[in-house]
Amino acid sequence: MKSAIGTTESGLSAKERWGKVITKRGTLVGMILILLVLGIRSPQFFTISNLLEILKQGSILTMVALSQTIVLVAGGFDLSAGAVVHFVANLSAGMISGGQHFLVVLLLGILIGCIAGVINAALVNQLKIPPFVATLGVMFVLTGITLAYNQGKAIPLKGYPEFSYLGQGYVGPIPFIVIVVLAMLLAMHLYLKKTAAGLRMYAAGQNPQAAKLRGISPSKSLFVAFVIGGLILGLTGVFHASYNYGSSAVASGLDFLISALAAAFLGSTFSKTGELSVIGTTCAGMFIAALSNGLIINGVSNTAMSGILGSILVISVILSVLHKREIGQVTIF
Amino acid sequence: MSKSATVPELAASQSGTRFGILRDYGSLFGMCLVLIVFAIVKSEFMAFHNILGVLTQSTILIVLSLAMLMVMSVRAVDLSVAQVADAASIIAAASLIHDLPVWAAYLLPVAFGLIVGVANGVLMSYLGVPAIIGTLGMMFVIRSLELIYTNGGQPQILFTLPRGVTEPFLYLGQGNLTAGIPFLLAFAVIISVAAFLSRERSVLGRRMDAINGNVRTSFLAGVQIKKVFASAFVISGAMAAIAGIVLTSRTGIAVPRGSESYLLEGFVAVYLGTLASKTNRMNVVGTLIGALFVSFLNNWLTLMGIGAEYKNILSGCFILIAIAIGALRKPKS
Repeated sequence: MKSAIGTTESGLSAKERWGKVITKRGTLVGMILILLVLGIRSPQFFTISNLLEILKQGSILTMVALSQTIVLVAGGFDLSAGAVVHFVANLSAGMISGGQHFLVVLLLGILIGCIAGVINAALVNQLKIPPFVATLGVMFVLTGITLAYNQGKAIPLKGYPEFSYLGQGYVGPIPFIVIVVLAMLLAMHLYLKKTAAGLRMYAAGQNPQAAKLRGISPSKSLFVAFVIGGLILGLTGVFHASYNYGSSAVASGLDFLISALAAAFLGSTFSKTGELSVIGTTCAGMFIAALSNGLIINGVSNTAMSGILGSILVISVILSVLHKREIGQVTIF
Repeated sequence: MSKSATVPELAASQSGTRFGILRDYGSLFGMCLVLIVFAIVKSEFMAFHNILGVLTQSTILIVLSLAMLMVMSVRAVDLSVAQVADAASIIAAASLIHDLPVWAAYLLPVAFGLIVGVANGVLMSYLGVPAIIGTLGMMFVIRSLELIYTNGGQPQILFTLPRGVTEPFLYLGQGNLTAGIPFLLAFAVIISVAAFLSRERSVLGRRMDAINGNVRTSFLAGVQIKKVFASAFVISGAMAAIAGIVLTSRTGIAVPRGSESYLLEGFVAVYLGTLASKTNRMNVVGTLIGALFVSFLNNWLTLMGIGAEYKNILSGCFILIAIAIGALRKPKS
């Protein structure tokens, strides 16, 4: 199989090579085409300020998707992601309006995220509950605590410039939150691809039995992944409250979670083998944000919005999956 | 195939001694225990009319989780089931409001479910879109269509229509077979038996098992993997539509986005169902048990008059407890 591919690649005409690029990098080509169409239809889409705005709008989703990615890499699954973010967001909004310093809130948010990660990992590793059910239970519990905390009401924040800087501030022309996402991306990429621990995490996620025989502990990888993922979620919660000037009354965060999951999977179609990667996830998360931004600029109505978003999501994947001739199984469940 | 599936089951039952059953089906005992505690705390819980009510009410969840099971047992996922049910309930109500005959109110939604199922099947099976992205896109598209049709979410109300028009339709959800026994109960039994036969006792069901085990091997063994994979989506679409019809017929009103919460409950039911199997296989009987457990849990929390916040916390805890009891007993694999 391998050698066959090698021989065909050597004798390619220019036309064939382009065909190869399109099928190999299909998702990326599809995304760029779609964004080009949106940009040509309304020129203000491709202005620098709008592009930076898109990156800012996509940051929260990308952060959740990054946390989901590392857990998926280690062979887990985190259904509680959205609930953790909303809980921390509500708590931060409440504490900030109660007069706490924003650094205290930031640290507490991260701490809560880590604790949620430890609990998830303990349920999966020690009690041997399947990740899906364990994180589902945690999701319910956190949703309830959030509702008990905010009594079903939104907590708006006005006039806290220091706290609002986190989500809405700029360093020169670049939004601060985008810098945070890029730093996070760099750190995670280096950890997952350049350190032994990160590569072991991939191994443990893909084949726990084989990894165990090689002396790698899958449960340790999962623990680390859940804690790192939780840390990111806690951070995201604080930024979420800051970005939205407060917290909404919504508590379950299921839509959030589904979009993040879609971003992670969309990102995995970038690679030929469907491997999850933080770079793919980030591109996909930002693409989803660009898409909603472009559709709004093009004047799509609110009711039609989600339908068009959904179909474009599917179309952008089709290019890259068509040549694989496989069925669309999902193995995480 | 059938042989290889029974070997681990045999091994599991032989390895256990006196506590073998307790270990294999520990989670079921866990669920029973939780229900017994419920009955002790609140005696109305075990009243005959309450049990009958819960059983009748749970039909919607049963049908929907069986739909989900069909897709999940070929290692895919259908995020659009709840939305299909939603749209089907609106189509059923709308066709009565627009003076169409009663058979149309039953058949049009099912036809819609079949169309969505075929579209899903083509996308996931013949084009190879990952199920989590494809069905998510489908969910968004259907949600959009619903909102456009209902002018941004106006409910379709049946009880303002003359009784003679709606009565034959409402019989499914509200009529009694004989004195005291709701027709819906019989309907749930029929659907469950049909699902059991097609999933566990048919050629198609066996081929689903094969695909679940190993796609490549089943392809080499002559299974038409694309056809089987696609048919799972078609069955799921049709069943989801049936759930929607039941919902409208039971409540006499179709609210856009009113059945989205069933998506998560369906997942829970299918997952709890895997615990009724020694090999953690997704199966019809287990899913039924799971759906009933979820329904009884919700009913008890309502009987206790618990608010949404503690309801969430408690249902999270109970799900974790029920599963942890079983998971602890299972030998480490």
